Amino acid sequence: MGVIETAVIIDYVIVSAVLLAIGIYGLTVKRNAIRILFSIEIITNAAILNLVAFSRNLPIPNVTGQTLALFSIAIAAAEVAVGLALIMVAYRLHKNIDVKEFRSMKD
Amino acid sequence: MIDIISTPILITMILGTVGLIIPIIDAMRKERGVNHQTYGSIASGALLVSIFIIIFRVFNGEELPIISFVDTSVLTEDMFGSFFAIVMLIVAIMVTISSIEYMRKTPNPAPYYSLLLLSSIGMVLLAYSSDLVMLIVAWELMSIPTYVLTGFHKNNPVSNEAAIKYFIFGALSTGIIIYGISLAYGLTGSTNIAVVLQGLVQIDGDLRPIAMMALAMFIAGFGFKMALVPFHMWLPDAYEGAPTTISAFLAAATKKAGFVAAFRVIILGMVALNLEWSLVLAILAILTMVIGNLAALTQKSMTRMLAYSSIGHAGYMLIGLSLAPFSHLAMQGSLFHILNHAVMKSAAFIASAAVIVTLATSNIDSYKGLGKRMPITALVMSISLLALAGVPPLNGFWSKFILFASSIDAGSTVSWAPALAIAGILTSALSLGYYALVIRKMYFEESVVAKTKRVKEPKIILVVLLFALVFMVGFGIYPTPLIEFSSISVPLTAELP
Repeated sequence: MGVIETAVIIDYVIVSAVLLAIGIYGLTVKRNAIRILFSIEIITNAAILNLVAFSRNLPIPNVTGQTLALFSIAIAAAEVAVGLALIMVAYRLHKNIDVKEFRSMKD
Repeated sequence: MIDIISTPILITMILGTVGLIIPIIDAMRKERGVNHQTYGSIASGALLVSIFIIIFRVFNGEELPIISFVDTSVLTEDMFGSFFAIVMLIVAIMVTISSIEYMRKTPNPAPYYSLLLLSSIGMVLLAYSSDLVMLIVAWELMSIPTYVLTGFHKNNPVSNEAAIKYFIFGALSTGIIIYGISLAYGLTGSTNIAVVLQGLVQIDGDLRPIAMMALAMFIAGFGFKMALVPFHMWLPDAYEGAPTTISAFLAAATKKAGFVAAFRVIILGMVALNLEWSLVLAILAILTMVIGNLAALTQKSMTRMLAYSSIGHAGYMLIGLSLAPFSHLAMQGSLFHILNHAVMKSAAFIASAAVIVTLATSNIDSYKGLGKRMPITALVMSISLLALAGVPPLNGFWSKFILFASSIDAGSTVSWAPALAIAGILTSALSLGYYALVIRKMYFEESVVAKTKRVKEPKIILVVLLFALVFMVGFGIYPTPLIEFSSISVPLTAELP
């Protein structure tokens, strides 16, 4: 295992870490279901950015990272389709997509 | 390369074909209406064929390796994977058959069984995957259908709410796992689990924090599915709101999928990095046991109580994970408990589904006098609750016994290991408190409102319940075959790179 050229890759990693932080911030603070969905997407995209950057700049560059990036994009699309469908149903039931309203079950 | 006749590929083809054909048949049929029996029997038939293929290959085929890290293929056929595939398919069969009766009034039967089959494929592939790309794809193939299934009662706000909560945490866990994979890939230049571990062993000192961060992300990501305590808050709501058969599926099957991924990645990473992660996992295990069992004490709804008790059981299974570097026996106990818990918990959930079918309630107070009204359901319910608590002649006792004995035994290497056994024994005693309350209500209290006459019990669910009863009592009296089976499936940490 060689060592990654840190000077080349550090920018990408910093952007990716910032994106991860933004995603987690949005997830904890926002109450609109669509915004929460966006935050999750941002987290996934942070990981994808990392994968592509590593794939290009490894000591021995390989395409595994880009393959996984493509897979992740497809997976995220499928996930968002299901998530939006669930939010649509919630809107039809409550006329509202504020997750604070979702408290019918309490212990 | 992928071998076409290897077990995971064969099962993917069988279940995938049937899972895709079911909606096509539904679209081509002339008559409309809800037909759960046809699709349910097709789906359970396909699942039965797959489980027989795995069992046949394990016991009659050529010798399988215990856990394979030599080749660079994405799927390896090994004993460890077969063990988990069998566990998950048992649960899938129990859930599919009992859904025929439980979901009988729900429209759209074809997508329901199709999604159950697709989720089962995901779990089988996850059990066999030896590459992080395969792992994440199988993980999502398992998860996405369960989001839809949780919200399957689409006009019921509770079901929808459960699905949204489950979806948000599930999607977050996927994002975190992909991030962890990206860090591991950046450090080692590969996504094959064996190569990643080899790379992590030889890692430079200044890159070590990043490796630790990757491992922490794996623990958090898989921990959401395993419902370890800081990541458990979605679980009671999701299990309570989901259709009860799907709660059985989530508690007994997808939770185990979190464990199989954790066994493949976290443990081995722990050993490779030679870190103090064991202590972290042990603290998580104790927290999970205590908080899950304490919260279950005060519940009014049966499904919610079972949900909290399944959080507690995740703690018992975590004992094996945390002691993995020191004790072979603890991992064996963990695997054995995973198999037992799959049957016990799905039996308990399916029994409460039978109560919902006949009495349309899951409130514990309405269980009064159930011993006279629904004798067989009440019997299986009591046996499964006693087995979950770990009462001696039942199968749950043996796995808990192995787990606690092994953690006391590991006390000679690590000083904190017996604390796990103490916490486990105390919380087991505590859990008997709320299980016994339900049993007392069923047998020793008379219902004030309803008549005590015997009511008709749902027949198809009874078949599943009787199978579970035979399993729990039979392997409780004679546990040797299961102990041996789990013993040959344990991944050997000594043979690691």
